[in-house]
Amino acid sequence: MIPGNKDNRDGWLFSIPFLLVFVLFMLYPLVYGFVISFFKWNVLSDKVFAGFQNYISLFSDEKFYTSLWHTVEFVLITTPVLLVIGFLMALITTSKSPLKKVAENVFFIPYIFSMTVVSTLWAWIFQKQYGLLNKVIGLVGIQPVGWLTDPNWAMWSVCIATFWWTAGFNMILMSAGIKQISSEIYESAMIDGANYRQSVFRITIPLLKPTIVLCLILQIIASFNVFGQVYVMTGGGPFGKTRTIIQYIYETGFSYFKMGYSAAMSYILFFIIMIVSVVQYISLGRKSNE
Amino acid sequence: MNSTSRTKRIIYAFLLSLLLLLWFFPFVWMVFTSLKIENEVVTKVFHFFPQNPTLANYIKAFSSSKILRWMLNSAFTSAMAMILTLVVDAPIAYAFAKIRFKGRNILFWAVMAGMMVPFQVLIIPLYLQFNSYGLINTMSAVYLPRIALPIGIFIMKQFFEGIPDALEEAAFIDGASRFRIFSSVILPLGKTAFATVTILSFINCWNDFLWPLIVMNDTDKYTITVGIANFQGTHGTQYSLIMSGAVIACIPQFIFYLFFRKKIIAGIAMTGIKG
Repeated sequence: MIPGNKDNRDGWLFSIPFLLVFVLFMLYPLVYGFVISFFKWNVLSDKVFAGFQNYISLFSDEKFYTSLWHTVEFVLITTPVLLVIGFLMALITTSKSPLKKVAENVFFIPYIFSMTVVSTLWAWIFQKQYGLLNKVIGLVGIQPVGWLTDPNWAMWSVCIATFWWTAGFNMILMSAGIKQISSEIYESAMIDGANYRQSVFRITIPLLKPTIVLCLILQIIASFNVFGQVYVMTGGGPFGKTRTIIQYIYETGFSYFKMGYSAAMSYILFFIIMIVSVVQYISLGRKSNE
Repeated sequence: MNSTSRTKRIIYAFLLSLLLLLWFFPFVWMVFTSLKIENEVVTKVFHFFPQNPTLANYIKAFSSSKILRWMLNSAFTSAMAMILTLVVDAPIAYAFAKIRFKGRNILFWAVMAGMMVPFQVLIIPLYLQFNSYGLINTMSAVYLPRIALPIGIFIMKQFFEGIPDALEEAAFIDGASRFRIFSSVILPLGKTAFATVTILSFINCWNDFLWPLIVMNDTDKYTITVGIANFQGTHGTQYSLIMSGAVIACIPQFIFYLFFRKKIIAGIAMTGIKG
């Protein structure tokens, strides 16, 4: 299309800087990690080829199962709640309310702060003796709860902090989606006598489906990678009740220096995330084609 | 009829304001706590407002920790990530958008597939890799793995596709090379897209926790996220001091938000448009 066509050469020339970085910091570690996962390697000692030994040990490692379960638990709790909260927030920020701009800022601001700040703040709110939450429920005569130290509550508390922190992200995605829906559809529905609830359930949600699916996929991947807020708020406690799989990978690698074992765990996690994404993609894709 | 819908609207506005106050409240609490003296925080008596507001905690936070240093480290690594992301990602985005070269489609899908790989899966091999380069405990370790940003490529590609071919063709006829066209026609037009990408990349790097936790060992070299976690760990029950540290850590991001509010939101919204 352009005279003196050197497109093949130019295309690759322009791609080189990125490809170097991509190969060096993405493809190579991806392959290297897979190779390491077949070795027993203590960093200090030599690498010893171990075949599937790391993977076999994993399946009898109770800590691996519990950590993986805590991550799954976190995914199961946070994904639906964050989608619903994000959607409700998006309804508010796309409504005609005079408060919508304020609402958008208030809902979104927690997301821009780093996870450690948010976790420190919530760790203080949840603090057992002097924390705000226990002071408030104390006013109505409820005994203080060990939000972060009681095994029944710790995971929920971390989830609550996460809701507050990241719901604004989903709100932005969803309100961008809602804004794409033509206002004429709502207007004609109004003329036909549809009330607000009907227009939300019959118009907004069905037309927002591609965005909801995207949010769902992004959210599940993000939730599977949960680490920081748990690490800062509970350190994985009480009694390892909130230790997530990433934390276990981190500890195995950098506290016990079992690189091979840790890499094997990373791959199992990667594999699970891939399966979940593919299953979602196929099942949701099929539904929207029907 | 009209008056009921009016009361409805007032009730709705009231409930919404209440919700917004509640949602915003943790920030208020963070600031209030940071202004209190320690004895007022760790006590059975509950005061909502600071009784004797003081900046002592802030002074102590600056003097007893390296919080300023950590912020500078974060600013430096995030800025580097931001610049290098553009340098590395803009040319390939341009190639994807405007150059019909062999292998373009396969390459594009390979890059987009890279988006699916969770960074956390790479931490062990990346650590070993950086260790063997002797880059552990250096600033470059923090930002180097962050500069390949597939989503950034996607955003810039979308933008470049919107630039009319006629502009380039005119330059070609005048005898300009690809590189010239890229630097003097395309780059000046791409400002909006670059702003979005740099902001995403900046936030991405600034908020990173696990990776700097792994590669930075000296307290001098911590980024602010790791520093604050460490600060909380070492000051156990001095809650007002910890909160003042948290407030300080929030300030740069808050200013950043005030300036780039629209761009940040647009950037996130754009990641969703792909569908």
